[in-house]
Amino acid sequence: MEPILQFENVSRSFHKGRTVIPVLQDVNLSVNPLEFLCLVGESGCGKTTSGKILSGLLKPSSGRVLFKGQDVSTLRGDDYRGYRRSLQIIHQDPYASLNPTHTIYNTLSYPLFRHNLVRNRTQARERVAELLTQVDLTPAADIIDKYPHQLSGGQRQRVSIARALTTNPSVLIADEAVSMVDVSIRIGLLHMLMNMRTNLGVTIVFITHDLALAKYFAWDGRIAVMYLGRIVEIGSTPDVIGDPQHPYTRVLLSAIPEADPEKTRSKQHIQLRSEDIPALTDLPPGCAFHPRCPWFVPGLCDVHVPALARVPGAISDADVACIPLTEGVPLALHTP
Amino acid sequence: MASIPYDLGGRSVRFTSNALSSGGVFFRALRRNRAGLIGFIGLMIYAVWILIAPRLIPFDDNVRLDQIASPPGSRLMLVTRADDAARYTTLDDLQGRTVGVLGNTSGEAMVEPYEEQGAFTVETERFSNGRGIPDLLEMLAEGEVDAIILFSDSVKEYLTSNTDAGQNEQFANLTVANAALGPPYLLGTDTQGRDIFSHIIHGGTTLIATALAAGLMSTLIAVMLGSLAALLGGVVDNALTAFANLVLTIPSFPLLVVLASLIRLDNPLLLALLIAALSWPVLMRAVRSQVLSLRERDYVEAAFALDLGLRHIVLREILPNMMSFVAINFIFAVTKAMYDQVGLIFLGMVPINDYTWGVMLYFGRSRGTLFSPDSASMVLSPVLAIAMFQVSLVLFARSLEEMFDPRLRTAKSPGT
Amino acid sequence: MATESPAVPSGPAAPSFPIARHAFRRFYTNYTARTVLQAIVTIWAVITFTFFLIRLMPGNPVEVYVDFLVNQQNMTYDEAYSRAASQFRFDPNVSLVTQYVEYMGQLLRGDLGLSITSSGTRVIDQIARFLPWTIFSVGLGLLISFTLGVILGTIMAYKRNTAIDHALSFLASVLSAVPNYIWGLFIILVLGVQLNLFSVGGLRGNYDPSLQPGFTLEFIGSVLKHAFLPVLIYVIGSIGGWMLNMRNSTVSTLGEDYVNVARARGLTSSRILLAYVGRNAALPMFTLLAINIGFIIGGSVIIEELFVYKGIGSFLFWSITQRDYTSMQGVFLIITISVVVSNLLADLLYSRLDPRVRVSGGK
Repeated sequence: MEPILQFENVSRSFHKGRTVIPVLQDVNLSVNPLEFLCLVGESGCGKTTSGKILSGLLKPSSGRVLFKGQDVSTLRGDDYRGYRRSLQIIHQDPYASLNPTHTIYNTLSYPLFRHNLVRNRTQARERVAELLTQVDLTPAADIIDKYPHQLSGGQRQRVSIARALTTNPSVLIADEAVSMVDVSIRIGLLHMLMNMRTNLGVTIVFITHDLALAKYFAWDGRIAVMYLGRIVEIGSTPDVIGDPQHPYTRVLLSAIPEADPEKTRSKQHIQLRSEDIPALTDLPPGCAFHPRCPWFVPGLCDVHVPALARVPGAISDADVACIPLTEGVPLALHTP
Repeated sequence: MASIPYDLGGRSVRFTSNALSSGGVFFRALRRNRAGLIGFIGLMIYAVWILIAPRLIPFDDNVRLDQIASPPGSRLMLVTRADDAARYTTLDDLQGRTVGVLGNTSGEAMVEPYEEQGAFTVETERFSNGRGIPDLLEMLAEGEVDAIILFSDSVKEYLTSNTDAGQNEQFANLTVANAALGPPYLLGTDTQGRDIFSHIIHGGTTLIATALAAGLMSTLIAVMLGSLAALLGGVVDNALTAFANLVLTIPSFPLLVVLASLIRLDNPLLLALLIAALSWPVLMRAVRSQVLSLRERDYVEAAFALDLGLRHIVLREILPNMMSFVAINFIFAVTKAMYDQVGLIFLGMVPINDYTWGVMLYFGRSRGTLFSPDSASMVLSPVLAIAMFQVSLVLFARSLEEMFDPRLRTAKSPGT
Repeated sequence: MATESPAVPSGPAAPSFPIARHAFRRFYTNYTARTVLQAIVTIWAVITFTFFLIRLMPGNPVEVYVDFLVNQQNMTYDEAYSRAASQFRFDPNVSLVTQYVEYMGQLLRGDLGLSITSSGTRVIDQIARFLPWTIFSVGLGLLISFTLGVILGTIMAYKRNTAIDHALSFLASVLSAVPNYIWGLFIILVLGVQLNLFSVGGLRGNYDPSLQPGFTLEFIGSVLKHAFLPVLIYVIGSIGGWMLNMRNSTVSTLGEDYVNVARARGLTSSRILLAYVGRNAALPMFTLLAINIGFIIGGSVIIEELFVYKGIGSFLFWSITQRDYTSMQGVFLIITISVVVSNLLADLLYSRLDPRVRVSGGK
């Protein structure tokens, strides 16, 4: 099956004054049609930038992005417009993602008119009501003529999702889409997103810093764990969560508090060698995780940049970027 | 302004807004802000002043040599001999009699219709320095005329504070029959005996229109260049920002004075354009940083993702969210334009086509009336007219600033 | 969330040699060096602008002056033109570009040409005569209004939403709204002419002409007395802006976490005011200083003319009314340079006070 979206050695850096910040380095990633893919990582790991490049809002500094097998930088005219509309993004902050000066009807009808998806006002109102119903904002008539400030955070986020659906996209990139919504309505939103795959045939890339959310959302999909601009582990969700390979993934999972305090206390807590996350402007050589890694192998990890590969002999299907693991070097915990 | 963008989100954003369907919220907010209310009422008064009042009150540019620099409230008087005072109190009482007036005065204008109807005879004296008024009074004392119409202040001089003993005796029998003939000169008259009130009523229209035009042009230039710099970025941004900084550094008023000496600024629009061309940089830099910050907003990014087009993004997504900011700065641009414009006129750098408040100030200074205690009204009237206009604008703008700037609002009153 | 800034192009085009580029970078990164460089570029741009304005405008001063000489003094056109050329310090036989280069050379030597109306007087001498008075009165006015404004603004912020705050805010708005020359007229009219609190005529000029200039108490008193009205107007005209900006700046500083923490640590309120609030709140004032200096020096043209104070502003106006274009050009340049230099000083002072600017080299 051909991936719908693909990264080939994608790197992206930003300039701040005269300093160059490499936010994303040499990332390879494919998004398969109708799959749930989760990008997980801490602040500054490049997951949001990946999302923006995936959605076509940012261009990579180097490398290629393929949409249905075609390099997107070569797309022109109708092909480009088709690609542009196929990818939509849902933002994190429901208070900042809707223009406060437009009514819900305006927000949703601009793209409909712009792309000739409706011919007149009557059709537009019908379609907007339909979209609102699709995101469980019923009755739509109560919502349609309101301004964003008259809606709750959860309702706004649903409007954001409805707006993303106006162009009938094939991929939705949900960047922390439920993080700022009250916990009690997160599950409802998540289910709605998940149902879109079956109802509307949408592939969803879910970006989050919350492993628990990722686990819930992408149980039958895949998780990619990112650290300082690179993917360190990518595999099917049950394998990554149940049998983490990369030291960083292990650390992350060991740090999640469980609902059951007994479980949390009995959990093996891995001690990092350092708490400090290196600055992007001053990345360590070799594996970026080596200064903090409890299994650090001197002379190996601080020299070579690891590539993604299967761990020989492991049950997990995940690709891991860790030289000792993939080369079969025995690991020994450093004790501080 | 039917609806003012108004922020209820109150997040870290400086000038976000929600277009409320009614202006009601705006007025409710204004009621709580007393200074803003004063400013708003002031502006309404000026709107009536420059738009409606000139149609109701005719422009009176007649030179009246007997009424030079008279104080506010002066008006014409009917003077008769003491024994006639009870009989002749209005012009209608003078049927078949002779009335004396000075030529080229409002007194002459007043008796004209009666003279045409043949109601009474009119004796017209020519006014010349020191003569005219005493001549008329003499005629009245000697019975050649039955009443005279004269300007109150000049008559007072001869009837009450006359130092000439001969004249005092001669005029002793004369008295004022009606001290309220015709409408009063509310603000007195200027050094040519012209009605200051009518000048004040008519003198604001061109001035305010020019200031508004200059403010509008300056705001338009600032918004266009600021958005362009922010949206295009790169070389365009660098060039425009450098240019703005350059124009900002040149002291604009001296440059205006220099330019006014080289270009003939007889067209108010040209003057407005020149003022605008030198005053856009401050707002341009502010607009640029506003657009830069708005461009990073999620909803703008969403609009890019939805392929809504640059035109839509600028006009529908970005601009509406800085309308309150732009409106406030437009008001400040108008006050700045007023400063420059009146300053130029005051220095006499603009050809005089129109008798504006500025021109009144110019004459006040160039003809020395500024330093004469008797003609205060001539300079004080335009001074107050301009000052109150500027104050109304600034109070209104500042209250808008407080209403729309959540930073000021929340910081000011933590409870609300 | 990653804090991502869009790609910002770095600096202006640098020379193409690597070593030179490196040196340029180092130089440009230095805040002081860059600010000075920008000031010099601004001055150069203004010089160039006025040079071409004076020579290329329709009805430009050179032609007007030549016409004047031909019509009024019955010179031949050639005579008049060579006279104009000598006074404007240009050689009419060479191209405009060559004239421009020569003009810049003369400027670098401090030669601004000869006055047209007062024959034989060098423009630079005239400027040296008048400029100090403007610097003195404008500087004194700025100093007083800045100090008073910052103090009153801080009081307003501490007493925010009380009657004092509302009254002072209203006063500040009114003071800043009314043009400064309107205040001047008002003061002459009401305090001088109507109430006779001072003699308007007696305060003309820079000092009592019967006194011998020198460091005598009498002379200094006379100088201060004559500068009183212009300085008062500069203070009235700019204090409102300082008050309102300082108030808002202090109000937002008072809400900062570090101020709350300082309070929680039990620091005295005077220490918090001086070390935490005042310093941080006053910083934005310095960027305003730049704009205000230009505005006040610009406004001195009217104010000095109104009070018959013999500074550079009234000299500019005089040279304009006399159509003394060489003086006009020279004075305008000097006024611009004073503004640029004052801005530069304000900028450098700001960078001294704000460590962020000093370290990162920009905001």
